[in-house]
Amino acid sequence: MSLLREAERCVANQSSCSSLNALISSWHQSCQWLDRVNKADSRRAQGRPKSRLDGRLVAIKDNICTRDLPTTCASRVLDSFISPFNATVVQQLEDAGAIVAGKANLDEFGMGSHSVNSYFGPVKNMYCGRDAEDFSAGGSSGGSAVAVATEQCYTALGTDTGGSVRLPAAYTGLVGFKPSYGLISRWGVVAYANSLDTVGIFGRKVSGVRDVFDILNQHDPRDPTSLSLDSRSRIDAQLNSACLASRMKTNSLKIGVPVEYNISELDPTVRRAWSRSLNYMLHQGHSIHRVSLPTTKLALSAYYVLAPAEASSNLAKFDGVRFGTSLDGDNSDSQIAGYLYAQTRGQGFGPEVKRRILLGTFSLSASAIDNYFIQAQRIRRLVQQDFNAVFLADHPLMPYRVNDAALKPTSNQAQVDVLICPTAPSPPPVLSTLGSGSASYSPLHAYTNDVFTVPASLAGLPAASVPVTVGSSESLAGVQIIGQYGDDALVLRVAEMLSGKRL
Amino acid sequence: MLRPWMRQGSRATCLFTCPRCLHLLRRWPPQQLQHSLRPSTALSSSPRSLQTSTTFELSDRVPLRKQLKQDAKSLKARKRQTRENEEASRQKWELTVGIEIHAQLNTEAKLFSRASTSSTDLPNSNVALFDLAFPGSQPEFQAATLIPALRAAIALDCDIQRVSKFDRKHYFYQDQPAGYQITQYYEPLAKNGHVDLYRHDGIAAEDGDHVRIGIKQIQMEQDTAKSQEYPPSTQLLDFNRVSHPLIEIITMPQIHTPATAAACVRKIQSILQSCNAVTTGMEQGGLRADVNVSIRQRGDVAGDHHYGGIGGLGQRTEIKNLSSFKAVEDAIIAEKNRQIAVLESGGVVEGETRGWTIGSTETRRLRGKEGEVDYRYMPDPDLPPVYIGEDLISELRRTLPTSSDALLSLLTGADYGLTVEDAKPLVELDEGARLEYYQDVVDLLRQQHPETGPKAQQALARLAGNWVLHELGGLLTKADLAWDSQRVPAEALASLLDQLQQKRITGPTAKQVLSLVFEGDQRPILQLLEEENLLLRPLSREEYITLAEAAISMNPSMVEQIRHKNQLGKLGWFVGQMMRMGEKGRVEAPKADAILRELILDGTN
Repeated sequence: MSLLREAERCVANQSSCSSLNALISSWHQSCQWLDRVNKADSRRAQGRPKSRLDGRLVAIKDNICTRDLPTTCASRVLDSFISPFNATVVQQLEDAGAIVAGKANLDEFGMGSHSVNSYFGPVKNMYCGRDAEDFSAGGSSGGSAVAVATEQCYTALGTDTGGSVRLPAAYTGLVGFKPSYGLISRWGVVAYANSLDTVGIFGRKVSGVRDVFDILNQHDPRDPTSLSLDSRSRIDAQLNSACLASRMKTNSLKIGVPVEYNISELDPTVRRAWSRSLNYMLHQGHSIHRVSLPTTKLALSAYYVLAPAEASSNLAKFDGVRFGTSLDGDNSDSQIAGYLYAQTRGQGFGPEVKRRILLGTFSLSASAIDNYFIQAQRIRRLVQQDFNAVFLADHPLMPYRVNDAALKPTSNQAQVDVLICPTAPSPPPVLSTLGSGSASYSPLHAYTNDVFTVPASLAGLPAASVPVTVGSSESLAGVQIIGQYGDDALVLRVAEMLSGKRL
Repeated sequence: MLRPWMRQGSRATCLFTCPRCLHLLRRWPPQQLQHSLRPSTALSSSPRSLQTSTTFELSDRVPLRKQLKQDAKSLKARKRQTRENEEASRQKWELTVGIEIHAQLNTEAKLFSRASTSSTDLPNSNVALFDLAFPGSQPEFQAATLIPALRAAIALDCDIQRVSKFDRKHYFYQDQPAGYQITQYYEPLAKNGHVDLYRHDGIAAEDGDHVRIGIKQIQMEQDTAKSQEYPPSTQLLDFNRVSHPLIEIITMPQIHTPATAAACVRKIQSILQSCNAVTTGMEQGGLRADVNVSIRQRGDVAGDHHYGGIGGLGQRTEIKNLSSFKAVEDAIIAEKNRQIAVLESGGVVEGETRGWTIGSTETRRLRGKEGEVDYRYMPDPDLPPVYIGEDLISELRRTLPTSSDALLSLLTGADYGLTVEDAKPLVELDEGARLEYYQDVVDLLRQQHPETGPKAQQALARLAGNWVLHELGGLLTKADLAWDSQRVPAEALASLLDQLQQKRITGPTAKQVLSLVFEGDQRPILQLLEEENLLLRPLSREEYITLAEAAISMNPSMVEQIRHKNQLGKLGWFVGQMMRMGEKGRVEAPKADAILRELILDGTN
């Protein structure tokens, strides 16, 4: 199929699927893309494409800055904001010939698990329940996921702070990949929680995701947390050592199954998908090992202390003074009338964002920081140590020094190459049960959706969610593969073994 | 470089000022405000002249001279009274002061962007994306900003931390774009330094010859934007200053007199300037001080508070944003007296933040404890730690200019033998250029007199000091010119002083020649002296006697007065006459005086 036909189909799908609300802004009205796709087609005909993405449409989550389309973060406070610059990832994609087709809907500033906390309305999953009830698309990168799943674009970028790429991938039957922290530049990605934020990639196949990752996996001097060239070559050297390099070819990988992930709340269809995936891998010649990650239970709480703390700090800049929407409103409330920012921040942020700002403000306050922020940082370190204890490969940035050897847990548990576990505890919930009108609704309940994705985020590890179909029931579930820091290629390799399998 | 201001000008220029905002004082106060206040104070201070012009009555008339005398007298009395009161309260109450100094570092770029720190450019022209906290922008730490900060830390004898870190200090104010200031709270750049204050630094008499004030820590941080208020509701913001690198220097609460506090700020400023860490001082707004003031009764049970690891102190208050040395001293005196008054009337000093207006007599309350801001310090998740290598520290230490204290003790020591009064200006004037010139002159002089003993060497140094400071300095002042070491090259002055030292010219001739060279005469000194016929050709004894006799014959009656009434002072008149009558530059006053004494006095015995 020519690139032009593919692009035309995407644009047509953008119109026909507009009710799913996947894109906040797009270019489908103007035909600027047409010329660029035609040029890419002729480059391909001459055998000189810029990259495998040349001439392909991509959607960008709307918290990633683009010069040509607004960057709203799905927030009223930025509802007409146009960034003066392109994020590095956007520039990298455009340089590779890709065409930004639109900006994808999300939970405001990335805060949410179902893409319903958007000033521009909720994202809907293209799958429906039996009574035509709308399913959650997952969040916070739900718009990016739905746009790829309904072929409004070839691939899409999201951001993953605590599972925001993996969860929507699981709910929409896509491959969603969150690379190791620091590999992909965050310059131009509007920060939610800097120490956790990672750009992630959606694709219908692992190979497409890998193509995008290869373009984005570069050092960027403008991002102070971007992994340096030095560290990158150190990691490469470690991965190319004899004992680790073989994992990319062998058919007998050691696969870990973390017992703590087998929680009682696990939905039967998810548990079935998990166990059949493990069975499948066993039959392929790999070995399955039970491992323990004891801090898993604390990880979720730590995440919901740390992420809001950083968010409360990062979102202080949205005051309507230098950019974005400045709201005056009525000054009848004398309590806040005197404060310059009160109206802008009071009306510009949605309820979930305000909740997390308040949570973070509290956990950083002088009387609470020791009990919340500092404790959560300790748990974060323990979560990292848990993972280091079960992976065969050392963490390349925190190798055990000789005199620290005592620190390396000498537990009798097996050491493994990758972990396989569910992405989410349940299939996508029905949207109507998530609204604040619903009786079962509580923000705390929404937070528990991230229980399986948050640990890898806290440790900065690469993780992918791949779709598997469980035979008779035709039900779709996401299975997560987690690897040691820097083992992104191995994670993608295992993802490719499982992705799209009917088990 | 972005100029987003231009695009959004109409909206952004008109800001609503929050009347209850707690951070008003974070701003440097606009200079205009102080200017506009001046005329009104000038008017109110001269009510007498206004009265006389309207209610003029003869009977009330007091002669102006008398009035002035009375005024001066009562002023003196008031001053004495104040001094006595001060002394009395000092006997009873002990004052404790700690100081926080914020100084703009001398750097080309901002702390976290490559934007220039130039302060003379158009408003909002030196602003990078991160300086405005644009969404998606990230800090780019400018490692070169460490250099002046480290120089300051070394000059203040601090321990430089191998690892320091950046933290966010949160508060909302429109001059703070990100909603937080990046500073170093948990792991500052340097700790445990000190500054030595001597009598000549202007410390209080009761502090004796020397006090040492500890420096608790030095941290790097961002400056805020400059705001200008246009009442009632407009504020203009210039983001050129935002994120200009600052250091905050925190002293230990070890200061016990207002004068010493002012001396401490002055000394720290001069140290920062001499090691090239800062560009401007307090006068230009490049340096600001906050002071913490507490008192406790002497010999009393210790207070309950401790600050900076020092215990037993009274409740302190903080006075923010003092912009001159005088303000530091005056504000501390006023706040100390206020606290004494509160305690003596049975009250309790509250921990609060107070402000000070130049020219006022009282500090004013800005916010109390209940209004205190919780800054929610959080490690900045984007910024890696700063690692400082020993090699960098030792290189900076090696290239640091000698401290002014070391220079002073060198100049007042045996080698140069200058007085502190002469040594201090030499060190302080013209950013060290005057001292360098002086040392050149002394070195040249000493090359010409290598064989003389230490005492004579010291005399050469003192002679050079006098001429560099007073004679050459006087010419500069009279011509209203800035220092220029090429105006009178060191070689020329040294050669002139050499001639003077050898008594080949007289003092007045030397001054005359200096003036010629100063005005642009480029001839070598020896050539100049010869061509102008200025070299001293000593008169013979006979010539002196002839001259003296001629002078005596002009006024024989005065000779009698000298002889019989022993009015020796009148000898000077005859010396003057001899100088006038003799050939210009040849009559040496001491010799003339000796001959006169011989002729007038010896004959009487």
